[in-house]
Amino acid sequence: MSAADFLAVAPLLVLAGAATLLMMQIAFLRNVTLTAVLAACGLGLAALSCIPAIDQGTVQVTPLLLMDALGLLFCALFALAAAVTVLLSLDYMRCHGDEPEEYFLLLVLSTLGACVLACANHLASLLLGLELMSIALYALIAYPNRSLLPLEAASKYLVLSGAASATILFGFAILYAATGSLAFPELGARLLALPANDPMLLVGAAMVFAGLAFKLSVVPFHLWTPDVYAGAPAPITGFLASVGKAAVLLVLLRLFIDADLFRYRILVELTGLMAILSMLAGNLLALLQTNIKRMLAYSSIAHIGYLLIVFMVSLDEGSRSLAIEAAAYYLVAYTATTIAAFGLLTLISARQAERENVELHHVSGLFWSSPLLAGLMLVALLSLAGIPLTAGFIGKFYIFSAAVSGQNWILLGALIIGSAIGIYYYLRVVYYMSRRPEEHHAPPGTNGGLMVGSVSCVLIAAILLLGTLPQSLMAYLRSIL
Amino acid sequence: MMESLFYIAALVAVVSTVAALTRSNAAHALIYLIVSLLAVAVLFFLMGAPFAAALEIVIYAGAIMVLFVFVIMMLNLGETGIAREREWMSPRHWIVPGIMAALLLFELLLAMGHAPGATSAEAVTPKEVGLALYGPYLLAVEIASMLLLAGLVGAYHLGRRFIVRKEGQQ
Repeated sequence: MSAADFLAVAPLLVLAGAATLLMMQIAFLRNVTLTAVLAACGLGLAALSCIPAIDQGTVQVTPLLLMDALGLLFCALFALAAAVTVLLSLDYMRCHGDEPEEYFLLLVLSTLGACVLACANHLASLLLGLELMSIALYALIAYPNRSLLPLEAASKYLVLSGAASATILFGFAILYAATGSLAFPELGARLLALPANDPMLLVGAAMVFAGLAFKLSVVPFHLWTPDVYAGAPAPITGFLASVGKAAVLLVLLRLFIDADLFRYRILVELTGLMAILSMLAGNLLALLQTNIKRMLAYSSIAHIGYLLIVFMVSLDEGSRSLAIEAAAYYLVAYTATTIAAFGLLTLISARQAERENVELHHVSGLFWSSPLLAGLMLVALLSLAGIPLTAGFIGKFYIFSAAVSGQNWILLGALIIGSAIGIYYYLRVVYYMSRRPEEHHAPPGTNGGLMVGSVSCVLIAAILLLGTLPQSLMAYLRSIL
Repeated sequence: MMESLFYIAALVAVVSTVAALTRSNAAHALIYLIVSLLAVAVLFFLMGAPFAAALEIVIYAGAIMVLFVFVIMMLNLGETGIAREREWMSPRHWIVPGIMAALLLFELLLAMGHAPGATSAEAVTPKEVGLALYGPYLLAVEIASMLLLAGLVGAYHLGRRFIVRKEGQQ
């Protein structure tokens, strides 16, 4: 590895260094605040180190990692999202049981896994990144040690996720047996030489896709999602729903493009079918929920459904670059919005004295008891619903125009129906929040912490900025793709 | 001839894995699991990867066996435990895994004569494995070390709470 290579992988090195530093600090001196500050600084530094790394241009570092502008952009996004999660978790972890320091160490390790995934260009780095991210997440989900719910959520996720990883590995084995290569571009080149209708290869590619679809919680692999989301600590749910999914979707997109899996038309049509199922089932099931965390879990299934449209659109070479651009923008908007929504839930949960399950009636009258919190939640929900002036709207519009350019009318119809259903249940939360104070028992007003409030304000500002002035990010995405 | 050795070992691996999954007794399942791991090791050996075969035996069969022995030692204390262990010693419990293991040993002895690998022209030496790990796959080794760190820290935290709870009860 040359000096340029080291500079290109700087974000990953900084994250690994931060993890080691945190481990040493925890070993010698236990202090939650110090650990959180160190973790946030390390993650911020990792995000900053993406800037000189991007200037290096596209660098292939060993056969495993391709450090290009798109991957590094998402590395920076994941590091920032993790830094925000650290800040949101600090108050939460202070009141949650003993030895809260390892939480931040695990969060940094999970981010490292997500960043490896974002730059993975080889089946080995795909698997290692995926496992690093997931193994840290199992422990993070089960972290609060006073109730059984997180433990149940973590064991469900562990068992099902292990089965998904086994499926992915089996798929790799089949692909490797046929091609003798693990690197994406080489795999693509060798697959091109083989007949496109070879059932064995199709099964291998489908198994890899099914395993990754499980991690993305696409219908019909979505059954774990609501339980895990409801049981995990709220900041971790936000991290899992945003970074955990964005990283997997990014690597799936890369695998499809670099290894040219688009030539397996049946597989791509399967993604289209699963997109439709996710959009409809996710939104319909979200309608039935009274627990806000479960509702957001189902809504995240629907959001991944919207994103999967991109694969069908990419079948057409002409609209492929627009599709990738749309997916990248949507992922940025979705990450910011999801972290904000779950961060605000953290604030509401803290009010409920460590209650994990925020029911609809808990937010009743929030506009009157704490207008700022309710206002921020309103923006986050509107962005999830895709109302204009928010990041969610631009993201959805992007996907919409990509689907129009690809002329996928059925997918477009499902997108419109899904969004229409979505507006109802997002606005229902707003309706509860705006009820008069006489109609409910006001929750005891506690202070969620100045820092959490200011972090949420910054996130909401980012959502509004992405929604009103999207040109600069759009232009940047266009320039790097 | 050598091909059939491969298929016999593969069959042993599949059968013993199914048996390991379906046994209701943990100790019996463990025996089948070890046979399954041995069979996979023989498969590696036949395909010209003796180093991978050795690792499979040292790490998987060895480590898992030791772990389980510890668990059984901790679980089966007292008279009932001794009676149960004596019952496990009856031939109907160990004869099938024993035959499978003997079959694998026989295959190994047969394959020994066909250096380097029975079904492949060349063997992968430990040196080549090391050069690959610290050459193109250097970053994979580093990421794997971080993965182990995550697993270790997570297991420590999750396991720790049970120790704390037990101390609280006493």
